[in-house]
Amino acid sequence: MIKLDRVGKTLGRTRVLSDFSLCVEKGKITCIIGPSGCGKTTLLQLMAGLEQPDTGRITGTEEARVSYVFQEPRLLLWKTVAQNIAFVLQDVVTPARRQELIKEYLSMVGLYEYRDSYPKALSGGMKQRLALCRAFAYPHDFLLMDEPFKSLDTPLRLGLVRQVARIWQANPQTVVLVTHDIMDALLLGHRVIVLSARPAAILDDIRIDVPLAQRNVVQEPLPGYHARMLAVLEAENKKSFPNL
Amino acid sequence: MKSSSSLTRGLAPLFGLVIFIALWQVASGFYNHVILPSPSEVARSVASLTIDGRLWEHARQSIIRGLTGFGLAVAAGVPLGLLIGVSPLLSNIFRPLVVTLQVVPLISWLLLAMIWLGFSQVPAFVVFVTTLPLITINTVQGVKNIDLQLMQMSVVFRISRPRVFREIYLPQVLPYLLAGVSTALGTTWKAVAMAEFLSVSQGIGARMALARINLETADLFAWTFILIGLGLITDRLLTYLVDKRLRHWM
Repeated sequence: MIKLDRVGKTLGRTRVLSDFSLCVEKGKITCIIGPSGCGKTTLLQLMAGLEQPDTGRITGTEEARVSYVFQEPRLLLWKTVAQNIAFVLQDVVTPARRQELIKEYLSMVGLYEYRDSYPKALSGGMKQRLALCRAFAYPHDFLLMDEPFKSLDTPLRLGLVRQVARIWQANPQTVVLVTHDIMDALLLGHRVIVLSARPAAILDDIRIDVPLAQRNVVQEPLPGYHARMLAVLEAENKKSFPNL
Repeated sequence: MKSSSSLTRGLAPLFGLVIFIALWQVASGFYNHVILPSPSEVARSVASLTIDGRLWEHARQSIIRGLTGFGLAVAAGVPLGLLIGVSPLLSNIFRPLVVTLQVVPLISWLLLAMIWLGFSQVPAFVVFVTTLPLITINTVQGVKNIDLQLMQMSVVFRISRPRVFREIYLPQVLPYLLAGVSTALGTTWKAVAMAEFLSVSQGIGARMALARINLETADLFAWTFILIGLGLITDRLLTYLVDKRLRHWM
């Protein structure tokens, strides 16, 4: 369990977080949605230890091994598809296990036949799929995902969301997914946290008990949750931009 | 259509060369062969230098000197460039030095090398000091352009420092380093001939000095073409090696 206790963080002259508290549960996907620039990425970077809080405490991450999907694929262009995954596995698993993991995860997202290609030869969607593969294959206590579908169009996005759901079901793990898209949250979140504009505060905390495989955005209770999240975000928007 | 256009493209440079040689041939008719030897005289000179072994004897000396200076410059310049690129402190210390090195007149280096090292070491030394800044500055440039997002990625996945250096740093610095190496190789042959001209009695530059004294202008042309050939061969070789290794990702 990751616990943020009254965390404050200022980046440059911007107060991004102030007295922010949150518990992330084990073995579940926690989605964090909120307006852009509200400090979602900072939140993940704090959990990953890439940034340190100015005030407050973060517990449960000290000895934990973190895996991460960034907004961009962040691949090594001079390594093949398989080598990009081997890159993060090399020091943590045996060579035999490495080969197994590479084969397993590449097959899961349909990239196994591209294992000897270089990223240059892949499309944007395939690159992001490879980044997902790398993050899932890396042995971790929790997985942080920062808008991993941001740069993709809707069909690709939905396909990838389904793939993430399938990978998670095969091997449930603790995931924190940051997104600005309600659809991602509806399809993947066991719990959805809706954040306000900067400095981020929790506006709503929704639990969705439908198993991932049975999620259908047009079937109750998801439309209800959809409406609820929209309403909260609308109200927040009105507060930030009263003249619109 | 396609074959004819690629044919013209292939022949175009050759065509330019033919025009150049023709003009040269015509011009040489108007001048004494000491001022401007004809292309055929120069070709004969290259042939005789090749046949009697002088070409290889002197070119070999120049190549060894050039590659010694160049090799030392790479061996010193790459680590220096990496250090300058990584550490702001070292950058403050060494950067002005490298820039100064670059603007010191060649003739000063040459004369100093004669005093410090003796005549036989002058060409390799001159090559070293002229190519070192090129290698260093390009390496620094490469380090400055390292993708910080990849660095952050390797922090998250806890990649060890030596591996980050080998697998993230070096591959990103490599294209810049190779650009530096390519420029440095071009400079190498010019610098080596210059230095030999003024300091030693063996090597291509030295033979050019001798040809000038003896008014053997055809020989002067011949050695010049040999130098051009040397430059072209090493440049092509480098391009080929780079292409083979980096083509798939650059």
